[in-house]
Amino acid sequence: MARSVPLLWVLLPGLAALEPLSVGLAIGVASALTGYLSHPRFYCSYVECCPRAGQRLNATALKAQLDNRLFGQHLAKDVVLKAVLGFSNNPSPKKPLMLSLHGWAGTGKNFLSQILAEQVHPAGLRSKFVHLFLATLHFPHHDQVKLYKEQLQNWIRGNVSACPSSVFIFDEMDKMHPGVIDAIKPFLDYYEEVDGVSYRKAIFIFLSNAGGDLINKAAFDFWSSGKRREDIQLKDLEPLLSVGVFNNKNSGLWHSSIIDRNLIDYFVPFLPLEQRHVKMCVRAEMRARGYAVDEKIVQAVADEMTYFPKEQKIYSDKGCKTVQAKLDIHEDLVMREMKARG
Amino acid sequence: MKLRRGALRAALALVLLPLLTPAGAVEPISLGLAIAGAAASALTGIISYPRLYCYFRECCLHRHDRRAAAALQEDLDKKLFGQHLVSKVVVKAVRGFLNNTNAKKPLALSLHGWTGTGKNFVSKIVAESIYKKGLQSKYVHQFVATLHFPHAHSINLYKDQLQSWIRGNVSICPRSLFIFDEMDKMHAGLIDSIKPFLDYYELLDGVSYRQAIFIFLSNAGAEKITEVALDFWRNGRTREDIQLTDIQNALSVSVFNNKNSGFWHSTLIDRNLIDYFIPFLPLEYKHVKMCVRVEIDSRGYTVDEDIVSRIADEMTYFPREERIYSDKGCKTVDAKLDYYYDF
Repeated sequence: MARSVPLLWVLLPGLAALEPLSVGLAIGVASALTGYLSHPRFYCSYVECCPRAGQRLNATALKAQLDNRLFGQHLAKDVVLKAVLGFSNNPSPKKPLMLSLHGWAGTGKNFLSQILAEQVHPAGLRSKFVHLFLATLHFPHHDQVKLYKEQLQNWIRGNVSACPSSVFIFDEMDKMHPGVIDAIKPFLDYYEEVDGVSYRKAIFIFLSNAGGDLINKAAFDFWSSGKRREDIQLKDLEPLLSVGVFNNKNSGLWHSSIIDRNLIDYFVPFLPLEQRHVKMCVRAEMRARGYAVDEKIVQAVADEMTYFPKEQKIYSDKGCKTVQAKLDIHEDLVMREMKARG
Repeated sequence: MKLRRGALRAALALVLLPLLTPAGAVEPISLGLAIAGAAASALTGIISYPRLYCYFRECCLHRHDRRAAAALQEDLDKKLFGQHLVSKVVVKAVRGFLNNTNAKKPLALSLHGWTGTGKNFVSKIVAESIYKKGLQSKYVHQFVATLHFPHAHSINLYKDQLQSWIRGNVSICPRSLFIFDEMDKMHAGLIDSIKPFLDYYELLDGVSYRQAIFIFLSNAGAEKITEVALDFWRNGRTREDIQLTDIQNALSVSVFNNKNSGFWHSTLIDRNLIDYFIPFLPLEYKHVKMCVRVEIDSRGYTVDEDIVSRIADEMTYFPREERIYSDKGCKTVDAKLDYYYDF
């Protein structure tokens, strides 16, 4: 301390020559450079970045999400977990992951794809690396199929070159023109690179209602023969689905070369939901709104839903849809209960 | 004329010229401080209450206004006659939806019923409870099928335009209200074009539609509703005994399969995107009288029961034998009034 004082005295005249602005600038540039060199992706805490090649999916988090939020789909959970983890842990996959989700309305197909997207890119559907296409919205006119093909190809090529682990979700596949999907077939095949861009880390998810009636029939047959829902295996449904979807004129995959060449990795069936699953949905919705779960209201809402088939009335017509709306009607009861309890 | 105006301006300038001289006495420092103080207070005002201008001009509804549901209930009780089902369901639906900050899909109401029973009236009341200007608000959009989408061959154009209109307006104001009238006359494919907006998506091309409200009005299913109401009457039960469940399922199927309904084989019902099917019961004699009384009141005349009965008697009723329900609901009542009151 004592020694630095004379040192300062000696340097003082020299300090007068230092220009404050240029010194400040120099210090700033030096620190920024050091910061950048030591942690090149520090900006990723502020802006969304593409996940690096080495990043693995968090298996436990995904399993927890699926168990807590998706009800009644033991097959879908199983298949998706294995598929996605296997794909993510594979350091060099041979082709992009392709899932085809089939099932009745309201069983959770969009929901599952949302959960998946959130695991890969934390921002979920809002991420700039997750792309959602709706057949009726983005490809509405059948006479413009050529234009849609070109646009779709450019879009996919551009985004995968920006971020190799992009996620593409195609909804309403049963309403999509068969030609449009043929346009992206080259990207889904076993190529190492196509025009310099590698598509092997991308994920493609197709959602549709096609095959839903077949799955319902199979589930009903299981129920009729007294077997448990959890005993339904994928091998019972997969061949049914593949052919039913392939031959169904209304499926976007009709005679598409995607099935022809077996490019779909996994057919994921969604079973229709029973009353107990509808009740789980109601309870989850009540919890999400911050109410205490009241079994009377849960039963009342579940009873208001319509069920099929006509005689046995096992499976909900709309899955878990419109549960929120029905809860609004019963909300008066809920508020009164809450007030009564104080 | 112009010469006179020019001369006037010159004279004004000359008169005001002496006032400029005191400018020489303005002190730069104090003036600067005054300007800085004014700017600082304006800034504080804006930061502390950013939506100050909402007092002067119309703004998009951001926070839930408690008075909306209360006003809605009050208006429906006072002004709507003979629709006990409607007032119950609409208030709960709208209140629940507005309260819910985390709605999973936009609210879609389908109002069905006989003509003249109050469907447009209810949509007007709903619009007014949310936006003060009601149907004149720039966030409330009304589409009439026969007016806005008349030609069947331009359906592709209508689809594109409708989608752009909805997308544009919801991105400006998430809490927009869209009313579609004469749904039974709308081309089946056109409604399919807005189906994506009504579905359970979080975001579509960066725009969230979860806070919007869609109201569909139509006459489809009116016969079915009348059937149910007649059954109740014939079995001696009161009108107020009719519950929503009695009508709801019957409606849903009949509207879906009716070729004339705008919903025929549309994916809206397929996917159960309509949150509430709200039936409008046909109006009886006593309800027509209530309409007449309200109309007389609104014009400022004194209510004469004799005239009220006479006007109500002049309306035609169906079915032919029992003659319970008014053919046109409350429509043409005001015209008949003119005949009796000649002032």
